[in-house]
Amino acid sequence: MASQDKSINTDVPEKDVFALHFLQSLSNLKTQNPSNSPDKTNDRVKKIKMAAYVSMARAAGGRRLWSRALLRRAASENNKIVRFPRRKRRVTWLSRRRCNRRAPVEEKAADRLRDLVPGGGEMETSKLMKETAHYIKCLSMQVKVMQCLVDGLSPK
Amino acid sequence: MDLTGGFGARSGGGGPCREATGLESLHIGDEFRQLVTTLPPENAGSFTALLELPPTQAVELLHFTDTSSSQPAVTGIGGDIAPPLHSFGTLTFPSNPVLMERAARFSVIATEQQNGNVSGETTTSSSANLDRVKTEPAETESSQRLTSDQAVENQSPCPSQNNRSGKRKEFEKKVKSSTKKNKSSEENEKLPYVHVRARRGQATDSHSLAERARREKINARMKLLQELVPGCDKIQGTALVLDEIINHVQSLQRQVEMLSMRLAAVNPRIDFNLDTILASENGSLMDGSFNGTAMQLAWPHQVIETEQSYHHRQLQPPPPQPQQWPFDGLNQPAWGREEDQDHGNDHNNLMAVSENLMAGSANLHPNQVKMEL
Repeated sequence: MASQDKSINTDVPEKDVFALHFLQSLSNLKTQNPSNSPDKTNDRVKKIKMAAYVSMARAAGGRRLWSRALLRRAASENNKIVRFPRRKRRVTWLSRRRCNRRAPVEEKAADRLRDLVPGGGEMETSKLMKETAHYIKCLSMQVKVMQCLVDGLSPK
Repeated sequence: MDLTGGFGARSGGGGPCREATGLESLHIGDEFRQLVTTLPPENAGSFTALLELPPTQAVELLHFTDTSSSQPAVTGIGGDIAPPLHSFGTLTFPSNPVLMERAARFSVIATEQQNGNVSGETTTSSSANLDRVKTEPAETESSQRLTSDQAVENQSPCPSQNNRSGKRKEFEKKVKSSTKKNKSSEENEKLPYVHVRARRGQATDSHSLAERARREKINARMKLLQELVPGCDKIQGTALVLDEIINHVQSLQRQVEMLSMRLAAVNPRIDFNLDTILASENGSLMDGSFNGTAMQLAWPHQVIETEQSYHHRQLQPPPPQPQQWPFDGLNQPAWGREEDQDHGNDHNNLMAVSENLMAGSANLHPNQVKMEL
């Protein structure tokens, strides 16, 4: 997929890649934690959520900032070290934020958005918009796929 | 007010304060004298005499609004003064002070008709001077200094009535100078263009340009986002649109959480059905894309196909057919290699585990898997 990054990451995030990753990680979860003890439901929910996000990030590929941030976060929770090739010099947004005090309302809203989008703390505003657009696309795709899964798996 | 300080320093008059407007105007009168040293001396005498009117008289002169009586006479005068209006090479300077006074009156009235307030007058007069400088590049350096001085003064605010009368007097002087240079009031019709140009000139430094480019970029991407979020097209205002986007993202994330909770709730059935779903999923994937090297070409078709399969599964869940497991010895290493290329080292473990799982489930009998789970 590294050769396909352009065709994949431009517009529509792929459902099937996400679904494949997600199902694999779900089954992976199953094999890792075969015990069905009910006190672990919260842990299980968290793990399923994390699996969903990680597979979404993997389906999006490693070129998006939010997917990199998600994978990095997941890897840090798993105590692994992830190294992505850094293509751009990272601009710390805090240094830029002091320069932009013209539209405080918009900047406040952008800060809230920055908290929502993974890895948004490092982005400047225009980059944040771009990443948010792709993130929203991927999130809606994820919600659709998970809805399909739940509908297919839930007892009729 | 370092602006006035700069003015004093540049005019070399020992720094006259803003309160002493009379002195200032006298000073500018001196400048005018310097400016018109090339002119015949009786001209200079007449207009400096007009310049040194008391402020009250100047204000009276400015507030003379009887246009119907003055205008035809002035047009006659304009015809008298400047038959070749734009030929600056043949400058003819009228020596009649009454004539010049009338011309000044007319131009003042014209500018007052154009824009009523004092600030408008001053800006138009300054831009008139700029225009004069622009169209007469062969003027002396002192005149340019004069216009810059006047521009500086016009930028500074006028706090009191005294200042305003002083400003009016200066303005009258400038009008005098423009009539002196055979510029009639028709020059003032170029003023909006000059004014817009000045405003654009203020924003052409690199910081403003960069800021404007950044804002445009943000706005374009905001529009893109607005198309993505449903019901966001009609909202005006960046902050509201951002709020809507934030709400949308939050709702999506909440939906994901809820769905994962439901997935965890259907825990035993996941284990039951997972193999079948994996089988159907991988079957469609294998058939569509992972067969050969034409993966990229077959991609859109692949997406459509899987979407159809999703709908199909949503309508009726597929029957368990784990015997159709599409993994074989040939496909699996290729798959692993591809995944390694894609996602780097961190996914090696996960992918290895999932491969093991797949291989195991492929080798195991489905009933055994069910029993085990």
